[in-house]
Amino acid sequence: MSNPFIRLEGVTKSFGALTVVEGLDLEIERGEFVSLLGPSGSGKTTILMMLAGFENPTSGTIWADGKRIDGLPPHKRNMGVVFQNYALFPHMTVSENIGFPLKMRGAARAETAERVKKALDMVQMDALSDRRPSQLSGGQQQRVALARALIFEPEVVLMDEPLGALDKQLREQMQLDIRELHRRLGLTIVFVTHDQSEALTMSDRIAIFNRGKIEQIGGPAEIYDHPNTRFVAEFIGETNLVNGPIRKSDGGTARVELAGGQEIMVESSQDYAPDERVCLSIRPERIKLRPAAGPANTLRATVSDIVYHGDHLRLLLSCEGASFVAKTDRSAQPPAVGAAVDLSFQPADCWVIRQ
Amino acid sequence: MKTLPLARLIFGAAVIFFLIAPLIAILPLAFTDSVFLNYPIPAYSTRWFEELVTADVWRRSIVNSLIIGLGTTLLATLLGTVSALGLREKRLSLLLATIKTLFLLPLVVPAVVLGVGMQLMFAQYSLTNSYIGVIVAHTVVAVPFVVVNVLAALQGIDRRLEQAAASLGASPTTVLRKVTLPLALPGILSGAVFAFATSLDEVVLTLFVAGPNQRTLARQMFSTIRENISPAIAAVAFVFILGTILLALIMRFARGMRQGQA
Amino acid sequence: MKPRYGRLVPLLLVAPLLLFLVVFFAMPLATMMKSAVSDPVAARALPETASAVAGWDNSSPPTTEMQAALANDIRQIEDDQLFGDLVRRLNSAKSGFRTLMGKTRTAVKENADNADLVGIDKRWADPAYWRAVSVAAASSITDRNLLAAVDLQRDASGEIEALPAGASANRAIMLRTFLMALTVTIACALIGLPYAMIAASVDGWKRQLLLGAVLLPLWTSLLVRTAAWFILLQDRGLINSALMQLGIVSAPLPLIFNRVGVVIAMTHVLLPFMVLPIFSVLIGIPRNLMPAAASLGAHPLRAFFHVLLPLSLRGVVSGSLLVFMTALGYYITPALIGGAKDQMISSVIAYYATGAANWGMAGALGLVLLVATMILYAIYLRLSSEREARA
Repeated sequence: MSNPFIRLEGVTKSFGALTVVEGLDLEIERGEFVSLLGPSGSGKTTILMMLAGFENPTSGTIWADGKRIDGLPPHKRNMGVVFQNYALFPHMTVSENIGFPLKMRGAARAETAERVKKALDMVQMDALSDRRPSQLSGGQQQRVALARALIFEPEVVLMDEPLGALDKQLREQMQLDIRELHRRLGLTIVFVTHDQSEALTMSDRIAIFNRGKIEQIGGPAEIYDHPNTRFVAEFIGETNLVNGPIRKSDGGTARVELAGGQEIMVESSQDYAPDERVCLSIRPERIKLRPAAGPANTLRATVSDIVYHGDHLRLLLSCEGASFVAKTDRSAQPPAVGAAVDLSFQPADCWVIRQ
Repeated sequence: MKTLPLARLIFGAAVIFFLIAPLIAILPLAFTDSVFLNYPIPAYSTRWFEELVTADVWRRSIVNSLIIGLGTTLLATLLGTVSALGLREKRLSLLLATIKTLFLLPLVVPAVVLGVGMQLMFAQYSLTNSYIGVIVAHTVVAVPFVVVNVLAALQGIDRRLEQAAASLGASPTTVLRKVTLPLALPGILSGAVFAFATSLDEVVLTLFVAGPNQRTLARQMFSTIRENISPAIAAVAFVFILGTILLALIMRFARGMRQGQA
Repeated sequence: MKPRYGRLVPLLLVAPLLLFLVVFFAMPLATMMKSAVSDPVAARALPETASAVAGWDNSSPPTTEMQAALANDIRQIEDDQLFGDLVRRLNSAKSGFRTLMGKTRTAVKENADNADLVGIDKRWADPAYWRAVSVAAASSITDRNLLAAVDLQRDASGEIEALPAGASANRAIMLRTFLMALTVTIACALIGLPYAMIAASVDGWKRQLLLGAVLLPLWTSLLVRTAAWFILLQDRGLINSALMQLGIVSAPLPLIFNRVGVVIAMTHVLLPFMVLPIFSVLIGIPRNLMPAAASLGAHPLRAFFHVLLPLSLRGVVSGSLLVFMTALGYYITPALIGGAKDQMISSVIAYYATGAANWGMAGALGLVLLVATMILYAIYLRLSSEREARA
């Protein structure tokens, strides 16, 4: 990361007394797909607005391709932006919308027409080129917005929750389409979303935002399996969090005592102070409903509720001093509510979050 | 309220009658052959419409109204649109919010009070008895309508459209020209229509500021009613009411078209 | 999203209109206010006298210097218009000046050396006349018009007192204006509230019709509407002929050039300003509120009085303020439909300005009307901004 394509250094943005982004550093490589993920108000959209030039940082600097760009007006940044509501010009046709950036760059009429046609082909919209945006469906509008943001071949494309208004099926299709375009055109994409599964599916790296700061940044698997903080663990996917002091730790394993007195063995290469309180994150799909074989943790629990989810079941399990959620596939016969079960999980599936 | 449906029906119909009937009642009188404005109408003719275009006082007043109305529309639309662009932020600073309130005050100040002041001041700068003086006076009371209409249109524009245009390479002036103004056009046009209508109907300021050479149609109607009422008034009223209905229909139709698109 | 341009751009954009309105809206109003309190005619016409009376004690008999200065000043006045204004100014401070000044002017013009004013008319020996001259010449600011606007004056010693009965009718006109505006407001509220409720309770073409009936007159020229009423209300107009045809009355009802006609026409003109604010408040009330009240066990009438009426009251208040405020300054409709006894304050102002050329009185009454309107408007703004804050 010696010479990143985009670099934010100590960027802070305040609106009056309210600080939305605080001392943020972020580096993005050329050709990378980076998602900014976080709850609303966490500052992720503000970062995008500052990259696009609609907002200026209160302090800090932003660099793109070795040039400082904070303070540069948006029309000189050469970044494609796709908005949540697509922001298609209602008074122009599909072709005029897509041709707009070329017109702004003074392209010749014939060249514009040709490139617009190619762009329409790319998003399979060639049959609707003379329609107005209001005559298109949500998915069609989305594709026009995409074509418009890509036609002038920007090196960076900023997307602000572009799929938020689409229904689930269409959203999943568009996720694949965008991912495909990203690979084929070698684009650098900064993608803002509050949908964690979307971020996990599409991104090379994910930055988790909370209260104007990045809690953690890394690849999807790293973020999912090794969350740095409770916030990340809870925000990405579902997890069981249990607290307790470290009772024993020696090179590679440690034991954590739960409130009910049970000890849980975890794999961890870190060094802990004796009695240091830690938090354990155990993903529900790692929990098995059978006594463990080998060096695993087994806890005795009762089933307090079963929730049907179509492709899987979720079991709410309570044991002394803690409660767990477990996901099971539907092939096995589920226990009855109130039944006593053994739940187990491997030490490698316990992730220690230090506080 | 599901109670008393009959009473509601009668009350509603009675008020609609009270509101509309007077306007309808004078329409046939425009076609009277008599010099009196009474029913029953003895014979029908178009003599009073002919009077409007042939009689010197009426013809000149119509021409004056057109000159002054167009001048007012131009000036008020220009000033109002530009200032609405400055006031479009939803959260205005205290200074701008105060200025916005000031811009609407001409609608509130009683016309006679403003008229007295204008006559006194305009006399000092030789603006009385001049077209420019009347246009300026009309613009003062017409411009709030433009500000209100254009402002409503501007605030209805999604800011992201302008951001999108900028991100696609449009400079601020291009964004204004290609996106903001085209989208605000319906508001600008209806502001202009309001400005013209305000000028056309203005009497009080005209009484104080205009000279005999700038006698407008409204001013001429005022003195005709006051001094010697004639069916020419009904003829003018006929044209005005028809024009209003036509304009209302056009604006409704235009809005329907826009919604059909949206 | 803040646009990229700085804070200065919005100010630059509003600057042209701001400048325009300062020059052509604020300045005329300021000029009018100034004319209400300024009275420079005496100071302009009597420059020598102004300095001669400067050291006078306001009670001893006039000195010869004072008499000589005044005689000289009067001799110098060539402009009959200025002399007329001066006489009017002095006469309004103390009656008797009209004959006194005429006689004096003739005398001093005939004999260029005559400086003995007491010799011309012995009223010049009376310090009361000199006090009037002194006050008028010394200052170009006067509260005379403002006091007269509310039927007050200053007596010989400068104390404020009521004008003698019958000398002015301004208070009566203000009271009349207030009562007529109030009558119109009440009439509009009585018609407008139920009408707006009906319009809000239906939808589709029925609502379109009810609203269209309000909007069409609003968009129609005020003069056309007034002309329509003028034609309808005449003795031989449609209303009276219909009533007589039906045998309800035998002689035409007096509907025009009186209070009844003005109130009917003004109610017609101002009704939209009542209906529209109430309607906009009513459609903001969730439609299921009344069923909700009913489901909680409220009888329809109780639900109406406890739910719908209190909620629509805010609309009634803004509508009433709007109607009242507009009615206060109304000119055209009373001027055309009303008789001499139905003229409101605006007509009186117009009379002073165009008929009598008494700018001081026009300005003073205008100031009273302006202040009353601005207070009402401030209340209106306060109420509507509260509503916005709550919404």
